[in-house]
Amino acid sequence: MTETVNLLAVFPDLEPASDAVEQLRTLGVTDDHMNVISGVPVTEPMLGRPHAWTNVPRIALGGAVLGMSGAFFLIFIVPYLYPYPIQVGPQAYVPGPPSFVILFEITMLGTLLSTFLGVWLESFFPNYRRLPYVPEISDGKIVVFFTCPEASQDKFTKTMTALGAEKVTIAEARQL
Amino acid sequence: MAEKNKSQAAHAHDDQHTQEHFREKHLMLDPLPRGQMNDMVMEAMTSKPTWKYWLTVIILGSIVLYGLGYSWYRLIVEGLGIAGVNRPSYWGIFLVNTVFWIGISHAGTFISAILRVFKAEFRRPFTRIAELMTTFGLVQAGFSIFMHMGRAWLSYWLMPYPNERLLWPNFHSPLSWDLLAITTYLLSSTMYLFLPLIPDLAMARDKSTGWRKTFYRILAIGFRGTEGEWTHLRHAMNIFAYAIIPVMFSVHTIVSWDFAAATRPGWNSTIYGPYFIIGALHSGMGAAAVVLAVVRGTMKNMTYFIRGEHFDAIGKLMLIISMGWAYFYFNDYIVQWYGGDKWTKALLHFHEAGPLGWMWLSMLIVNIAIPWAVLWNSKWRSNPWIISIVGILINVGMWFERYLIVPVSLSINRMPFTWRLYIPAVEVYLSLGTLALFILFYVIASKLIPFIPVWEVQEGQLAHKLSKFGRETVVTVSELE
Repeated sequence: MTETVNLLAVFPDLEPASDAVEQLRTLGVTDDHMNVISGVPVTEPMLGRPHAWTNVPRIALGGAVLGMSGAFFLIFIVPYLYPYPIQVGPQAYVPGPPSFVILFEITMLGTLLSTFLGVWLESFFPNYRRLPYVPEISDGKIVVFFTCPEASQDKFTKTMTALGAEKVTIAEARQL
Repeated sequence: MAEKNKSQAAHAHDDQHTQEHFREKHLMLDPLPRGQMNDMVMEAMTSKPTWKYWLTVIILGSIVLYGLGYSWYRLIVEGLGIAGVNRPSYWGIFLVNTVFWIGISHAGTFISAILRVFKAEFRRPFTRIAELMTTFGLVQAGFSIFMHMGRAWLSYWLMPYPNERLLWPNFHSPLSWDLLAITTYLLSSTMYLFLPLIPDLAMARDKSTGWRKTFYRILAIGFRGTEGEWTHLRHAMNIFAYAIIPVMFSVHTIVSWDFAAATRPGWNSTIYGPYFIIGALHSGMGAAAVVLAVVRGTMKNMTYFIRGEHFDAIGKLMLIISMGWAYFYFNDYIVQWYGGDKWTKALLHFHEAGPLGWMWLSMLIVNIAIPWAVLWNSKWRSNPWIISIVGILINVGMWFERYLIVPVSLSINRMPFTWRLYIPAVEVYLSLGTLALFILFYVIASKLIPFIPVWEVQEGQLAHKLSKFGRETVVTVSELE
């Protein structure tokens, strides 16, 4: 089994970083074995990277369904749980328009809470473990993080440097 | 040949001059290295507080302690009898403030969500300042409702669960819709504030030491800026931007139904929903202009991020919203006036010529006449001081409007023997307390939360450039998202 090493190449800009991604692919590093870390959102097409999958919209949809179910319970079941049903004016026990208000608010609450929760679940937040990172990312540098065979470390370092990397180091897990 | 060279040199000089002009005017065309922008924001936040800062904190803190602490304590111990609310005005300043603060909170969502959806680029540096207004404003609205309840410690009775008599709250009343709408809005707007803040908290974590490092490390929840993290965040912010807009609209519409669903003269109006929303935006945008001017004037390095162009854009929105408010107000007014109902006529006359007629007239002057007279001029509306004075006046006008709607309208009903003018008592101190707390929240937040979303500013700067169309230089924006 080939020994591997994780490297971090720090680029000053988007162009050399996207060139590096392409070059890494040429050198045999698959997309699964690289990641780009940046201080601004850089979309996949800009880097020539495959579309990143996210379940956030599905989780949001799930939350909407849950919220709607809760609202249905409050609207349709609760009025019949009263030992002595309460008549409000000429309104039915389950009045149409007010029920729509409750349905809307609780569905939206479910959607938004689950969207928020979705980011946490998908990104494994909160995460206070030691992780590969360099603080320069906050200052606008773009880091290409990849795994390569240990024997080829020098070759990869030279290639990244030739493409404009300011620094290529072994990715050390550090306390953020 | 020499003439051609001379002409080329003149064009180059003109181009340079044009570029300098654009850089000076537009933040998006005046990029600085990201590290420098980070340092500027961190310096604004972490610089040692001056004596003026501490004096402000002490004054505001004292008002909060007296207004919200001592006065509320008295209200709880002695009961609602020490407030001015009495027959027929059972709803007093507490509910005026509730409507007012919910209105203020609307600007945050309007600026952040609606302008994000429509990709209005000028929003970028001040979305967070506006979002904070939503959360801080809603807290004051919540406090005002609890004060109005009297027995605030029993407020959990509003929650949908069965009580000891196995009775569930029923949802036939707009007041119970209020609870759901305000809770949904408060939670949503706080989450919407937090999501785009995460990358800036990570930046603050990387730039801090000591207790701040620990503080931001906890809040940044381990964000690094990987492709996956940005993708999840971008999708979530997109969902929020679209979904929070109807929630925002629903909140103030439901608040308006608290009034419109009653059959009282002056309240029973089908236009109250949109009228309340436009009123909320009117006061909210005015407040946003004031907050922005204060932040620019008092915090370090903010003149780079917040410029005349931003006040100009907010001023345009304020002008349009003022026109919209005038339209809805007149719509509401003319139909009630035309209806010919005896009691409604008496109420309208009471508004205009009663003891608080000056309030009605001032409301029209500061909500319509002054914004129209000032904000049409781009030079005036780009001036932070002028626009913030207009913003303060609009807020005074909008508070008057709510005062006229709530206790003044309640003074006149279909039983003349109960007519009585509402005179506030302890409510005044409690109101000052909420206002002071709102400002105090900002003062404290200015030292803890990066007010400028640096990553959003940088993203905008990457997308903007100057292009030549023939001889004209124009600003072009690429769609990066």
